[in-house]
Amino acid sequence: MIQRKFGKVAALTVAAGLISGFVSAPVHAASNTIIVWADETRGPHLQQVIAAKGDWVPGYTIKIVPFSSFDALNAAFGNATALTGPDIVVGANDWVSTGAKNGKLAPVTLSSSVRANFTANNLFDLSYKGVLYGVPLDVNNVSMLYNSKLTGKPGTLTQMVKFYLANKSADKLTAGLCVAGGGMSWGAESVLNALGGAPYVMTASGTVDPTADPVPAATVAANIKRLFLGANGKSNGFFPATDTGCKTAFLAGTVPYAIIGNWEWQDYAKAGFDMNNLMPVPGLNHGKFGSAYASVSGAMLTTFAAQHGVDQGAKSLLNNFFGSSAGAVAYQNVELRPPANKKAQKNASVTAAQKGFGKAGAVAGLPQIGAILNGAAGSKSFWDLLPAFWTDVLVNGKDPQTSAAAMDAFFKTNIAAGIPQL
Amino acid sequence: MKRWIKEDLWRHALLLVTCFFVLFPIYLVFLSALSPTGSLQVTSFIPKTISFKNFHLLFTSPKIPYLVWMKNSVVIAGLVAVLSVVIGAASAFSFSRLRFRGKKKGLQLLLLVQMFPAILSLSAVYVIMERVYNFAPRIGLGTEPGLLLVYLGGAMGVNIWLLKGFVDSIPIELDEAAKVDGASAVQTYWLIFVPLAAPILAVVSLLSFIGTFNEFILARLFLVDQNSRTIAVGLQSFISGQYATNWGPFAAGSIIASIPLVAIFLSLQRYIISGLTAGSVKG
Amino acid sequence: MEKFFQRKVTVTLKYIIVALVSAILLMLIESSFAKREYAISAFLTVGLIAIAITYLTNFSIPMKFFLPGMLFLFAFVVGPILYTVAMSGFHFQTGNYISKPESITQIISGGIRPDAAQTTFDVVIGEDPGKKLEILASDPTNKKYFLSTATSKTDLDPAGLAIDGNGDATVAPGFTALTPSEQAAQDKALGSTRFAYSTDFFITIEGGNVASLKEQSLKYDSSTDTFTNVLTHAVYRDNGRGNFTNIKDKNDQLQPGWRAPIWFENYTKLLTDPQIRSALIPVFIWTIVFASLTVLTQFALGLLIAMTLNRKLHGRRIYRSILILPYAMPSIMSILIWGGMFDTEFGAINHLFGSHVHWFQSALYARLAVIIVNLWLGFPYFYLICSGALQAIPAELSEAAAIDGASSRQIFRKITLPLLLQVVSPLLVASFAFNFNNFNIIYLLTGGGPQNTLGGAVAGSTDILISYTYKIAFSAGNQNLGLASAISVVIFVIIASISLYGIRRSKVLDSFK
Repeated sequence: MIQRKFGKVAALTVAAGLISGFVSAPVHAASNTIIVWADETRGPHLQQVIAAKGDWVPGYTIKIVPFSSFDALNAAFGNATALTGPDIVVGANDWVSTGAKNGKLAPVTLSSSVRANFTANNLFDLSYKGVLYGVPLDVNNVSMLYNSKLTGKPGTLTQMVKFYLANKSADKLTAGLCVAGGGMSWGAESVLNALGGAPYVMTASGTVDPTADPVPAATVAANIKRLFLGANGKSNGFFPATDTGCKTAFLAGTVPYAIIGNWEWQDYAKAGFDMNNLMPVPGLNHGKFGSAYASVSGAMLTTFAAQHGVDQGAKSLLNNFFGSSAGAVAYQNVELRPPANKKAQKNASVTAAQKGFGKAGAVAGLPQIGAILNGAAGSKSFWDLLPAFWTDVLVNGKDPQTSAAAMDAFFKTNIAAGIPQL
Repeated sequence: MKRWIKEDLWRHALLLVTCFFVLFPIYLVFLSALSPTGSLQVTSFIPKTISFKNFHLLFTSPKIPYLVWMKNSVVIAGLVAVLSVVIGAASAFSFSRLRFRGKKKGLQLLLLVQMFPAILSLSAVYVIMERVYNFAPRIGLGTEPGLLLVYLGGAMGVNIWLLKGFVDSIPIELDEAAKVDGASAVQTYWLIFVPLAAPILAVVSLLSFIGTFNEFILARLFLVDQNSRTIAVGLQSFISGQYATNWGPFAAGSIIASIPLVAIFLSLQRYIISGLTAGSVKG
Repeated sequence: MEKFFQRKVTVTLKYIIVALVSAILLMLIESSFAKREYAISAFLTVGLIAIAITYLTNFSIPMKFFLPGMLFLFAFVVGPILYTVAMSGFHFQTGNYISKPESITQIISGGIRPDAAQTTFDVVIGEDPGKKLEILASDPTNKKYFLSTATSKTDLDPAGLAIDGNGDATVAPGFTALTPSEQAAQDKALGSTRFAYSTDFFITIEGGNVASLKEQSLKYDSSTDTFTNVLTHAVYRDNGRGNFTNIKDKNDQLQPGWRAPIWFENYTKLLTDPQIRSALIPVFIWTIVFASLTVLTQFALGLLIAMTLNRKLHGRRIYRSILILPYAMPSIMSILIWGGMFDTEFGAINHLFGSHVHWFQSALYARLAVIIVNLWLGFPYFYLICSGALQAIPAELSEAAAIDGASSRQIFRKITLPLLLQVVSPLLVASFAFNFNNFNIIYLLTGGGPQNTLGGAVAGSTDILISYTYKIAFSAGNQNLGLASAISVVIFVIIASISLYGIRRSKVLDSFK
């Protein structure tokens, strides 16, 4: 009996010795390591750039953690706490308001020379209630590309519709203008704008106009009826209500005009499309264009950095690497997105298409204000409203004016609730 | 001949229609994988150009360690399949064969916990594993052992419930005979029950294997490191970018990933059906 | 002798395993306790005691079998459920996410604002002769230079300084610069030190060689638990719902807030908030219809195929191999490709039938599509189950019935089906439960749509409870995790009651004692 007990205790002790090495051995992260979370494309590229030159912040080690996808990064950051969270996260501008409200993002003060590298709009994109939370990294926008084998450069939206209706059967066109990138809200915003509507109206001084009517229902409805609908009140096929299949159809040459995203211009260039044919969506009159969103993704400081004791290091990394022209050029030469950094935009090593999208954004760009677009409590977000509008009008045959008025009412609620948050 | 027409023709007709239903989407996956643009919308059923670009990419791009992902998936899903059945079978045995107080309540609990909307408890799992990481970094959030533990926990309810159903149908006379011979419950379990239930156990582990092999919602939070990702996480990365989606490599990768599963299924088909049969010998 | 030896080996093996597991648990208990994770520590202790009692004594034989399974179930399934239940009692949403102490810390640091001109200085970080942190600050545009510590500021005469190419001073009398690694080691101190500037303003370091001019606008008084805005003299008090609110203006809140207990408010909201309430009922009905139809169609087709193949037939092996393919394909891929197939303009289905159906824009068609896709995904499972079960039904039974003159339909209804149902009914219940919460198919196929967004609908026509809850919990901008948790709990109670009722009626659990 005593022997048995002894056996148990002995086994226990031996096992304890063996196991302690595995489970409780701390995984030492050096105390001065700055952890940066990024998605599946930016992450590996940042790793590459940091590996090439790692001393952006002397005294600290930089560790880039690339997630398997943007969605995964978003989910992880949504759940992260100081225990395992990052010091800097590279994400989209619409994370700023949520991150700030939830106490996950920390304010950043950039040096005046770094601030001078960015446009006020881009810095505004990463701000919430007037406080900046990060450094702009790359610009994301959409632009219209026309197929020069089918048609010439259009002057107005009306010309485009005329071309489509005239050549529909001869050229076997599946649509006139479709959205290949950015979806039916963000990507299609410039179409709504070309028709005379917008989620909010900017004043000349660059602030949101609280009194202007965002979607003048009668005007927008009349334009839709004239351009997008047939005599029977249903879509004339010019503008499909969904974005599925647009890219394939455009590449196959059965759609003359498509709105494409700057993140996949290479697919179009490889298929033989000339990037000089990029332009904003034409409006109703010559020289008028529908404004598209140009949003930035950025490197944002988290509140975890202070708790990890690398707050100063993380801020230095934002200033020295993410915010500097040298850092932006080194990074964008690998990442190949249009840089937000003004000096990097002019750098000779940045490609023509990267610059081309930047130019389209400059001609007809609209600041993207998450506080309004995400929708007030009890209202609807722009992201849900515009796709629903296209479906109702183009597919379900609902009256354009009623639908436009309904959307307008939601937009007004969102503007009223959003303005105090800016 | 007449008998064939009367009895078999409708069978063939029905099966052919069902096969068409089954194969049509799969054919489209192949079309998508073989098209150079890789789109989910098909403009013609006969491809104009066939390109192996997407397959080529999977095995040559240094950014896509496809074979490593495959290995990780097999290891993790394999471990979950084996361990969850080892642990689950014992529980199922006790719920099926032994008498104890609260058994019925326990069984109801097993069924009910599976009905909780798991999407929301995901955040809770994250919080728990983050805390575990805090004191035991090797088995907490972001580690493969940690993911394994969570999977085992998640598989338990379903597996015990499934196994119990199958175990119920093994003739009780067999282990009663053993009991008469003086065998303890533990002996009955190992000497009588396990050999008899082997086919069922194999089937349930196969089901666990498939379930784990396809899981990505948890895995993408745990397996951040490029070389520790599973195939489901890796494939997901093609289509969950901030803006861009790469359907071509995704389709190609899915086809290759399903090959081992299809192979296991086909080679074990007889065994699977007999396993399920054993599970339903009743009365 | 041999038997004795075997027994000895297995008993030893058992002790080794128990000892190993106990050792691991002990270690974890110790380290979790040391890291103040008391809840986990307590759970592990209970687990350890249970393991010791179960396997070292003969306290309960059944427990020896089910304890490991139960421990896992409690840790990773029941635990998270309890956490969700707890969260449903909190005001837990975007803006009210962290704990109150965290929130206070962040309001304090957020209350430090840059001055209106956003003045920044180039600085060198170092120490004064007394080894106190000191900065050498340069304002190259205005040619102003000074030294500053936490307590005092000393202006320097530019004439006596070495100025570099950027117009920055690099050395000053009595000032010793810190090396980068010394700075890194003092990161926390550098971040929290307020270097003197003027009575209203101070300087904080913003990384490496940048510092900026700041003022503290919000002050926290822990004795009264209030914040005061130094500039406007507004007083902010805990409003009991997770925010500091201006006592004069309810809408003026400090951010971030924290998650505060509001007990049953999330539940009462389900009944009182007309928007939420009106959406819940149709969603609930569709969820039941969806789960029932799914199980029914999957089972029916599975059974039909199993019966068709339950006899010698040419090409039986090939048919079988093809028919189980949907089960072996990754389901994400399958669902997404189906999504592409249902596309109106470019989809294969409209293409095949020459139709122009707007599948995902019409509630009826979208629901039909969901059921069709789920049928595709799930019928092979029931085919496998049913063919197993059919083979097990003794052929004599139906042969005897046939001799007695029963028609094949009668045989099916009176003999085959009842026997089959007895076997598969637990699986039907489990499948119903699975589909009740089948998030993936809805989310990936239709996203819950079509939704009458412009008409004010908050849920789509194909939204089932779980996808609707997901929208509330994780939609952009306004994530209401507390409300979503409450809905989950309600869903759980409803589905649990239905299932328990179903189980009682079908006597699934009674068939074996």
